[in-house]
Amino acid sequence: MQQPIFSDELTWRDRLRYALLRLPLFALLWWILIEGKLAGWWYGIPVILLAVLVSLLLLPAPRQPRPLMGTVRFVGFFLWESLRGGIDVALRAINPRLPLNPDLIDYSLRLPEGNARIVLMNTISLLPGTLSANLRDDCLQVHTLDDNPQTMQSLEQVETVVAQLFGIDI
Amino acid sequence: MDGLYLGVALFLLLNILLGMVRVLRGPSPADRMLAAQLFGTTGVAILLLLAEALAAPALRDVALVFALLGGLTVVAFVRRAWSPPTQVNKE
Amino acid sequence: MGIIEWVTTIFLLAGAFFFFAGTLGLLRFPDVYNRLHALTKADNVGLGLITIGLMLQVDNWVLALKLLLIWFLVLLTSATAAHLIANAALRGGLPLWRRP
Repeated sequence: MQQPIFSDELTWRDRLRYALLRLPLFALLWWILIEGKLAGWWYGIPVILLAVLVSLLLLPAPRQPRPLMGTVRFVGFFLWESLRGGIDVALRAINPRLPLNPDLIDYSLRLPEGNARIVLMNTISLLPGTLSANLRDDCLQVHTLDDNPQTMQSLEQVETVVAQLFGIDI
Repeated sequence: MDGLYLGVALFLLLNILLGMVRVLRGPSPADRMLAAQLFGTTGVAILLLLAEALAAPALRDVALVFALLGGLTVVAFVRRAWSPPTQVNKE
Repeated sequence: MGIIEWVTTIFLLAGAFFFFAGTLGLLRFPDVYNRLHALTKADNVGLGLITIGLMLQVDNWVLALKLLLIWFLVLLTSATAAHLIANAALRGGLPLWRRP
């Protein structure tokens, strides 16, 4: 990918605004890493500033702010479903009959290219019985432990929740 | 509680040893790569338990590094070490 | 032992069970794709439960946040790693096991 460093068409004022939004976030992260000790701030301040700069280079600022409700809903959904995913696969693994009926299915993505897709693919891999295996154009190949008609529905549901997280209409 | 922490840590260590059977058997390189997953997640759990049991908070930072290195190992494997059978024929 | 100690004990033992189930899946499941499911999902729930159990015991809540952060990092890397391994296997032409 040969692109200029700042590929988006944001103004410098916008960038400054995003930098100021990310600054407290990175400071919080540093504070957690040094376990709240005061001495760490001497190294911390330059590291935090550098991290904000690098993050602006690597992760261009979003076009619109993330809706809070979408985030809350996503976190709740993710925790519950990933717990179900773990229980599901654990029960299959300890079952003497080994109930598996795996298949590879194609899922047409409605989400646009970008971070939302990456989050979706990672989420799918932690949900019950599904694993993102390959992405070609707009088609995601998903490996399923147990091929059944409900899988498509649950994939659509995950995609909707991820879309809400990013404030995207699909 | 320290006894419990150490007990669970030991159990997880045995778990890794058991998982090594798969890594040694393979059969595909991808199966062997599962070791990175196994070591990464289980290793982090063991380190967190030991940090608490031995009152050694630095082990939490080791766990943090483990978490990051596990991912990096897989990326390196996928990029470099994996030579798919179809490509081997072409070369 | 107080109630919090009991809760921690339950969480740690439940976490250990999920790790064991993950390893069982790693050994018993028929191909690398299925094994990835077992390792990724079961081990992450195992680590999550152990993290919660330990969070109840630390005296400093910044430390509890740090444990949560470590778990989140492992979650992120292992989901990505699972995809990368599955993807490499698929591109490398490793056949899928299907129920005969």
